[in-house]
Amino acid sequence: MKRKIIFADFFRTNGVLMGSILIALVGFWLVFLVILPQISMLDYSFRFNLPPAQQGGPRDVYTLSNYQHLLYGSDATHQTYNTIDLMVFLRTIVAAILVTIFDMILCYPLAYFLGQSRGSGFVRLLVVLLIIPYWINEILRAFALRIIFGDAGMINEVLMFLHLTREPIDFIRQDVALYAGLGYAYILLMLFPMYNVIESLDRNQIEAARDMGASWPRIHRRIVIPHAKPGIASGCTMVFMLSAGALAAPQILGGPSSLWFTQLVYQWFNNSLNWQQGAAYAIVLLVSTIIIVLTFMRIFKVSMGDIGK
Amino acid sequence: MKSLNLSRLAFALYLLIFFTYLMGPLLVMSLTAFNSPSFPSASPWECFTFEWFSVLWHDNHIREGIYYSVIIGIGTVVLSVSMGLAASIVLTQIWPRFRSAFYTMIIAPILIPGVVIGISTLVFWDRVGRLLGAGEGSALNGFFHNGLFLTILGQSSFIASYAMLVFVARLQRFDPGLTEAALDLGATHTQAFRKILLPFMRPAIASASVLAFLASFENYNTTTFTIVDYKTLTTVLAQKVRLGIDPSISALAFSIITLTVLAALAVEAFRRHSANRLAARLRGGAAGRLLSGFFRGNVPAVLLVLLSMAVIVTAGVAQRYDPTQCKVAVQAAKKAEIQRRIKALQESRKARESAAPATPAPKAPNANSGAFGNVFAPNNLPGAPGASQTAPAQESPSQKPGNGAFGNVFAPGNLSGASDAPDAAPDSPPARPDNGSGFGNVFDPNNLSGVSGGN
Repeated sequence: MKRKIIFADFFRTNGVLMGSILIALVGFWLVFLVILPQISMLDYSFRFNLPPAQQGGPRDVYTLSNYQHLLYGSDATHQTYNTIDLMVFLRTIVAAILVTIFDMILCYPLAYFLGQSRGSGFVRLLVVLLIIPYWINEILRAFALRIIFGDAGMINEVLMFLHLTREPIDFIRQDVALYAGLGYAYILLMLFPMYNVIESLDRNQIEAARDMGASWPRIHRRIVIPHAKPGIASGCTMVFMLSAGALAAPQILGGPSSLWFTQLVYQWFNNSLNWQQGAAYAIVLLVSTIIIVLTFMRIFKVSMGDIGK
Repeated sequence: MKSLNLSRLAFALYLLIFFTYLMGPLLVMSLTAFNSPSFPSASPWECFTFEWFSVLWHDNHIREGIYYSVIIGIGTVVLSVSMGLAASIVLTQIWPRFRSAFYTMIIAPILIPGVVIGISTLVFWDRVGRLLGAGEGSALNGFFHNGLFLTILGQSSFIASYAMLVFVARLQRFDPGLTEAALDLGATHTQAFRKILLPFMRPAIASASVLAFLASFENYNTTTFTIVDYKTLTTVLAQKVRLGIDPSISALAFSIITLTVLAALAVEAFRRHSANRLAARLRGGAAGRLLSGFFRGNVPAVLLVLLSMAVIVTAGVAQRYDPTQCKVAVQAAKKAEIQRRIKALQESRKARESAAPATPAPKAPNANSGAFGNVFAPNNLPGAPGASQTAPAQESPSQKPGNGAFGNVFAPGNLSGASDAPDAAPDSPPARPDNGSGFGNVFDPNNLSGVSGGN
């Protein structure tokens, strides 16, 4: 399939009708569902929130005020920073990174085990067991954790039974439930990419290394992890992006005072009806997460083409 | 050898932790679907009941949500599978120099936060509507603000990427020579596509459709913005869970889990079946025609049948089963428990007023007789040393409201009579009235005060 073709060749290979249908579908997807919506959101984020009558009028000009609001709040003099929103933003990013690392550490041994021991019935059973929670609704999974982490939930009862605590611990207010829930929601998106790449690793390489006297940590560091890097990167990218952009888990498992950055976006849209402000916050979230992912990819030397494999 | 055993043990422990983390919440949630308290909880176990399934069945919001979820799911499958297929075909033919850029573009929607996709879809089509001159109230305006339309577009924009990944994997094994042969033999491009490529892609189309439907069905982040004034199952659920939770949601989750397990078993059973048949054909025997052949050497198929039968039997039993009697008993036990606690409180107050530390108090009436009575509690044995002296005060901390049908029979506080603890009487806290959550306090550490704190 690696022939150089240009546009005319494309229609020669596929025929005019089929070629046009293909182009139309891909074009519709990329232009109308991906590119233009993002551009119009970007455009929106630079505008004032005007009543419909004034839209397109003389006051409908570009402005940075929506972004200034994230930095300085409603303070017009720009003296004090909008610490509440900025802290929420910072915490969202840091917590998403921590959740990613947690999932990565938790998944790696299992991915290695599943990837390297092929065929046995036990492994098949484990894979089926893994797939079941994957198809349960994200909201229902968060709900399950809420039952467990509640004041009178399973975990508090066990802790009190073991004398580890006298009073029930408020896991929801402490955000423990939220972090556990985020790790729980996306853990399989970490596991499956890792499993796929480790499965393709030739067993003989590991055995050769062992015959030469390499220790287990060394085998993992020098052979398995370099081979699994695309899968690890893919899993980490997905878990990070999804948990930074999660909405259901924070809404259900977050404490009353704690807010996830997506919840701020949600509030601007649905409670304050200030779409422009919400769009600005969404752009900030999108751009900063992309920058973080690209930075990490540069540090660990993985390319975009590895994602999703 | 020893270190090998140790590391094996550590790995088994790790597997246990991993699967507890993965499965534990779902199991506990499934249990709560069958317990009668109106707040979902697995302990204390009150009454086994099916009532939450009937509550779920009669919930019109959830029904409506499922209805719209299915409509949106079908629309999303059609749109995203065709776009994903087209993109994967273009990807295999595109000029190599553009390939990685194109790949980045079609994979990007997976990585964009769902919230952002939802917002951008909403904003963009609002603007398109205005550009086309659709004012307030016109039919066109209604179209561009239609929740179903917007949700299908918003979801398709990233679900198409999932579908594309499935197709790319399959297309790598396609031999383009087949299409060329068909064209040489005089087929039109459309015919070649329909008769050669499409049949080859059929398994991938099937799995991409299932994937797309499920992804659409359970999507929340995008849907919550684009749905406007409609509702889907996920938005209904999110609203319910945020406003207050009740076990009918557990019942829904349990139903979904059961369906998932059944579907997984069915897929596995048929996969195993065709593998078996292939093996039999290779051996030269004729097998797989009869039903018995279907089950031979096919564990998933057997499990599938057993589980389906269990579901049917359970559903049948559920029609007859009536937990009213149990509930009445639990109610009565709770009421008696409250009465008793009030009494115990009065007693302990009286005892505290009258009893100086050294003077023996009159033998207190045992306030701790739960539904099962306290026949076996040591306090009922008059010979127990020190029992008469400390009983009232020791009992009081373990008297919490809302102890379930189990009473406090097993609470270690009942054993307090065995230990000699004269000083505990004035210090022990009164019963806490703030604990009326209905969960019982069997595990409350205060119940143990007689053992640990008494000396």
